[in-house]
Amino acid sequence: MSTSKTVQELNRELARKLVAEGRNNPQSVYAGKFVGIANGQVVAVADNWDELARRLRQVEPDPSKTFGVEVGRDYDVVQEIWGLR
Amino acid sequence: MPRAQWPLLHDRPIIQVILVLVQGGQPLVRNLLADTGAGTAQSGFELLLDEQDCLLCGGIPLQGVVLGGAYVGSYPVYLVQVRIPMLGFDQAVPTVGIPAAPAGFDGIACFQFLNRFTYGNFADPGQFGLEI
Repeated sequence: MSTSKTVQELNRELARKLVAEGRNNPQSVYAGKFVGIANGQVVAVADNWDELARRLRQVEPDPSKTFGVEVGRDYDVVQEIWGLR
Repeated sequence: MPRAQWPLLHDRPIIQVILVLVQGGQPLVRNLLADTGAGTAQSGFELLLDEQDCLLCGGIPLQGVVLGGAYVGSYPVYLVQVRIPMLGFDQAVPTVGIPAAPAGFDGIACFQFLNRFTYGNFADPGQFGLEI
């Protein structure tokens, strides 16, 4: 296993696992929650983005070492942005 | 009830938001096209901004999204602190980082963001506004 993963890679890897877990198990403890990750670990759980941002900044002020994910959201859905004509 | 109104820009509705820079200095004022056709009430993101703005404001990286229509492909998303002082609004908002905003604007305020408020021209066809 590589030991040279960056903090962002570790964060994204954990986020992917949480999203998959939420998809496979709606009873997951994080289902429906906004989860904050810092330095490869879950450090905050909140009911909305604003609350999560406050908690994450308290734990890790450097945003490049943090990551957030909404567990239970289907991130594969294409979201349409109607174009200007 | 607090209301914020802005003159149309290029004959289109806009809202004006304030972004606070991480490293201090003058806050960024951004004119966003108010576009109810951008996303849905449940899109999971509320604004589209130049990715550089998201980074300058210390945006927290979030899981990315896939867009179609005017923007096609996978895009990064950031949690960006957004202020609308006239409404007392100061919250972290999920924001898609895009390489270029629509010409003449600094980004897009999507339906999920506009839908937080009562929105419209409030009987003045030359303006667009938000009301809490």
